[in-house]
Amino acid sequence: MDFKVRLSRFLRFLFPLAVCLAVWELLAFFDILNPNLVSSPSRIIWKMYELVFPNPILLVYLGRSLYRLALGYALGAVFGISLGILMGMNRYLYWIASPVLSLLISIPTIAWVPLFLFTVGIGDETILLAIFLGCFFAIVYNTMNGIRSIKKELIWASQIMGADRKIIFLEVLLPGASVSIITGLRLAVGYSWRALVGAEMLASISGGIGRMIYAARAFNDVNTMFTGLIIIAVGGLLIDHLVLGWLEKKTIEKWGMVKKRE
Amino acid sequence: MKTGIFNKSTSRFFLQAIIVFAVFMSLLLLWEAISFFGILNPSLISRPSEIFLDMWKLFLKRSPAAQSVLLVHIYSSLYRLFLAFSLAAGVGISLGILMGYSQRIRWFLEPLITLAMPVPGIAWAPIFMIWFGFGDPTIISVGALAAFFPIVYNTTTGVRSIEKEFIWAARSMGADRKTIFFKVLLPSSAPYIFTGFKLGLARGWRTIIAVEMIAASLWGLGFMIFDARDYLRPSIIYGGIIILAVVYLFIEGLVKLVERRTIAKWGMVRPEAM
Repeated sequence: MDFKVRLSRFLRFLFPLAVCLAVWELLAFFDILNPNLVSSPSRIIWKMYELVFPNPILLVYLGRSLYRLALGYALGAVFGISLGILMGMNRYLYWIASPVLSLLISIPTIAWVPLFLFTVGIGDETILLAIFLGCFFAIVYNTMNGIRSIKKELIWASQIMGADRKIIFLEVLLPGASVSIITGLRLAVGYSWRALVGAEMLASISGGIGRMIYAARAFNDVNTMFTGLIIIAVGGLLIDHLVLGWLEKKTIEKWGMVKKRE
Repeated sequence: MKTGIFNKSTSRFFLQAIIVFAVFMSLLLLWEAISFFGILNPSLISRPSEIFLDMWKLFLKRSPAAQSVLLVHIYSSLYRLFLAFSLAAGVGISLGILMGYSQRIRWFLEPLITLAMPVPGIAWAPIFMIWFGFGDPTIISVGALAAFFPIVYNTTTGVRSIEKEFIWAARSMGADRKTIFFKVLLPSSAPYIFTGFKLGLARGWRTIIAVEMIAASLWGLGFMIFDARDYLRPSIIYGGIIILAVVYLFIEGLVKLVERRTIAKWGMVRPEAM
């Protein structure tokens, strides 16, 4: 895409935001809105600056949150994809596990947190478990569906042509399920992001973005809360667009399994 | 279509149901037996029988208003979900239709929604607590906010997905704006709106349970679970989680019923992602 087109698209995306921020700032400036309750963009930006210089507490928290997210997500992805493949390939396992899965999938992740607080205690382990559970189910479900949706004829065809189990697995099942697996991975990023924020509020003892928002309530510190919200929004958007968009482009778009995104 | 009650697919369904039931029961029995012999620490992992008994006791226990405590917890959460969802549906559908109709409104609001949509509902909770304090107003408004985004997003997509030819055809047959709106636009975007409803209901439910935990409110399933932690009562946490799952499956069943009665009857079900 042409650089100019991209830039104009980006500016067009930013324009409504800029208008809203300007209106907000003006309303707060003329005391129409109570600044102690709703703050104002300039105060929030100043707060962000204060949180980074001289003591980069915001970056430390962000680092911790991202570390938890990465670890929990990686665990969820590894176990989720493996179990999903097993459930997709083995009919009996599917019969037994899929009802259990559909029962567990309907439980909000946050409901597990009090239980983990009980069993593994307050701290990182609980947050990790929550993130793991948050993304695990979506990945298992989509991987399983991906494998099960592959047409029998494709497997038969490759068997006739002399493919052994290993080749069928690597060259038929995995690529065939990849669209679905990546959909699951993509959904799971949102889920684990959500689980991270919730679990940090209830169970963190060493900071994190979710904890920061929650702790600021005790001081009625609206600026810090908005800072946290902005970071969560932008972070979620960046992870989805940059990391997963890149992954999608490198894999399934290249193999021609989905249409290129506009 | 029907060849009898026990055609092949129903008998398979029953077979699967029996197997699942057997697996569930044997897992529960195993769990019970292991705890019975004291292998699992009873203060961390309760026995199934204990969970059931404690839930039963909670059901029999009377609240100050002489109602069953367990039922009041369930009722409070459902009541909040109902209010939050109605609010979100009202605002979401109107705004979604506006955004679908007018390019200018969409152009302005779309970036804002794209940015705010992925923010987890619970992240808003502390700010709303400063604005509205503890209890229902905070829980309901955060729930409504969370449910709003999928509804508005899907409504917009629905209105935009209508083929221009339909509207032209209706117009050339002399339909006025009102008729076009009610007879063309609304019915053909209904499946999308319904998808938005489903997603919004799920998001609202999750968010309400989460906010109940931090915006302490005395009642609600989320509060019940979180409160049990303070009194070291794991059986209530386990029981609460099971009840959460069951209540949600019930809501989902209700939604499916409504879908069968309306959208499926009109022959407009959309294939579903997750």
